Amino acid sequence: MAKSIAITGSGIICAIGNDRDMVLKSLRAGTRGIGPVSYLQSSHRDLPVGEVKMTDNEMKRQLGLPEDAVYSRTSLLGAIALGQALADAPLSVKDLEGKRVVFISGTTVGGMDVIERYYSEMTAGDDMAKYVNRHECGYNTDEIARICGLSAKTVTISTACSSALNAIILGSRMLLSRQADIVIAGGTEALSRFHLNGFNSLMILDHEPCRPFDKTRRGLNLGEGAAYVVLEREDDALKALRHPRGYISGFGNRCDAYHQTATSPEGDGAFLAMSDAMTMSGLAPGDIDYINAHGTGTPDNDHSESVAITRLFGDACPRVSSTKAVTGHTTSASGSIETVICLLAIKHNFAPDNIGWTSKDDGCITPCMGEREVELKNVMCNSFGFGGNDSSIIITDKPRTLNFGQCHDAISSTPVHELGDKADLSMVKQYISPMEARRMSTLMKAAILTSMAAMNDVPNRRVDAIIIATRYGMLEQGQKILDHLTTHGEDQVSPTIFMQSTHNTIAGSLAIRLKCHGYNITYANGDNLLDTALQDARDLISEGKANTVLVGCHDYCTETFMNIYDTAGIKFTGRLNSKSLILYKE
Amino acid sequence: MEEIISQLKVKIIEALNLEEMTPESIDATTPLFGEEGLGLDSIDALEIIVLLEKNYGIRLANAAEGKKVFTNIESIARYVSEHRTK
Repeated sequence: MAKSIAITGSGIICAIGNDRDMVLKSLRAGTRGIGPVSYLQSSHRDLPVGEVKMTDNEMKRQLGLPEDAVYSRTSLLGAIALGQALADAPLSVKDLEGKRVVFISGTTVGGMDVIERYYSEMTAGDDMAKYVNRHECGYNTDEIARICGLSAKTVTISTACSSALNAIILGSRMLLSRQADIVIAGGTEALSRFHLNGFNSLMILDHEPCRPFDKTRRGLNLGEGAAYVVLEREDDALKALRHPRGYISGFGNRCDAYHQTATSPEGDGAFLAMSDAMTMSGLAPGDIDYINAHGTGTPDNDHSESVAITRLFGDACPRVSSTKAVTGHTTSASGSIETVICLLAIKHNFAPDNIGWTSKDDGCITPCMGEREVELKNVMCNSFGFGGNDSSIIITDKPRTLNFGQCHDAISSTPVHELGDKADLSMVKQYISPMEARRMSTLMKAAILTSMAAMNDVPNRRVDAIIIATRYGMLEQGQKILDHLTTHGEDQVSPTIFMQSTHNTIAGSLAIRLKCHGYNITYANGDNLLDTALQDARDLISEGKANTVLVGCHDYCTETFMNIYDTAGIKFTGRLNSKSLILYKE
Repeated sequence: MEEIISQLKVKIIEALNLEEMTPESIDATTPLFGEEGLGLDSIDALEIIVLLEKNYGIRLANAAEGKKVFTNIESIARYVSEHRTK
């Protein structure tokens, strides 16, 4: 048994406001932040987006940074949100002294905007190569902490659109298990041509402002932004005279294990994640006053999320709305942006409107069109991502006693199975059909080979959680998209390549292969990658959330990127490194 | 029509990385999707949409529209011959 985790501060910047007050005002007025592309350099004038209404230089000025210095928009947005969260708590450098402080940030595209801008120069061997590490998600997390003067251990999570919510979940777990004293968690994501063209290739962007859960919905509008929350144990917060604004009282992270980008018709992953969160909170379905849905506006998501909600809540369906119609889908930041929106709703007694909804779809829930003067005690917030990565948390206005325990059973491990540059990847054909192999990158093949080798060591066990770490992510696919954008411009990006470009492609694919609906996460730190993954696996087993955890650390650098790194003075000893092992409860 | 069919076979094998297939091994009337046919999926359908735009200047508005056209190579060839702009 444990007590809810207190949220003692928050910061937010997104299409409907550059801080909490502006966001609150927009939510109450029902203002949309969606419009034609105006900050991003893109030829897609016909695709509405939810941009933050600030230029990079305006953000640099606000942060006191020199305008001629290169920062990714992702970092700038993140630094603004982090600064607000620290000030809101308030947490000064002195407050953090002697405390174990952890900053957990979710992002997927990282500093892709910087790479896009200089890619031609970089590949030509130009000095601009020095900015190459901006594409690493972990670099951006470290940079955000540095800009804000925050001295903390940093962790980066990259599970596509559920990244920020998974950051909050990890932060809560670290506090519950007393591995941290103060956690600042959330996510940040800036719009990039990479992102916009990738989503466009999947034909899931609506050319009109999006209409989540509406019968006529045609897709999502991409957005951008950042949000972080300060998390701590309640007794610590009260001792330090910090005021809890709400509590994390339950969470779940599960995998749909169905398809890389599509959702299962029964919403299995979403159902399991929400159920886990409910079980942990000890609340009954009728106790939930509001659900901030993932509700992207795609025909697929809204249908399966509705099915999952109905499976869980039956006739006791609470108010449900998606705020993505006003913010746009801020992908890796959406989980924390919507967590902050839920906190505002609880504090100011309103249920946000599901703007844009006019016609009932028989396959969807009927969303809440806004309610004022309503007391929200218990709120659920959903966030689902590519790779079937589904997460859900419960935020309450008062602390609760949670169903969260830790045991100390002995944990065993298989040896580490490792492959490098000399690996014979054609061996993968013994595990997969040619139809599957045709799409697989070098890294994916190596990851499957080392994972299968680890699994062969424990033939009678079934993997029930997957934890992957990768510093560079799916660089092969990322580079193909960058090459395409540079040579062919913003048209006809390959959907096959984009769908496999997110860092959690390996974790998602392995889950489908192993039919593993359990916990699924991908770390993208700059360093301590394998250690972070192994620690999480041990914690998961201690928490009783898994018995057999597949852990992997996989990286592959393309020749082009190796040359760019080389120009920047960073040498690689090998291009491919794939390690897998299994940790299991004895 | 025959010419478009042979062109499409080559281009589809290339775009979808169907390494184990040759133009001769694909019958123009074999279903593209599902277990009984070539076993393509929804992402392949999106890839074929890109291919049609690139090579024939055909713009399909959404994947649902594609589904009707993409029964087999023959049906795509028929659609191409009627709608191509280049």
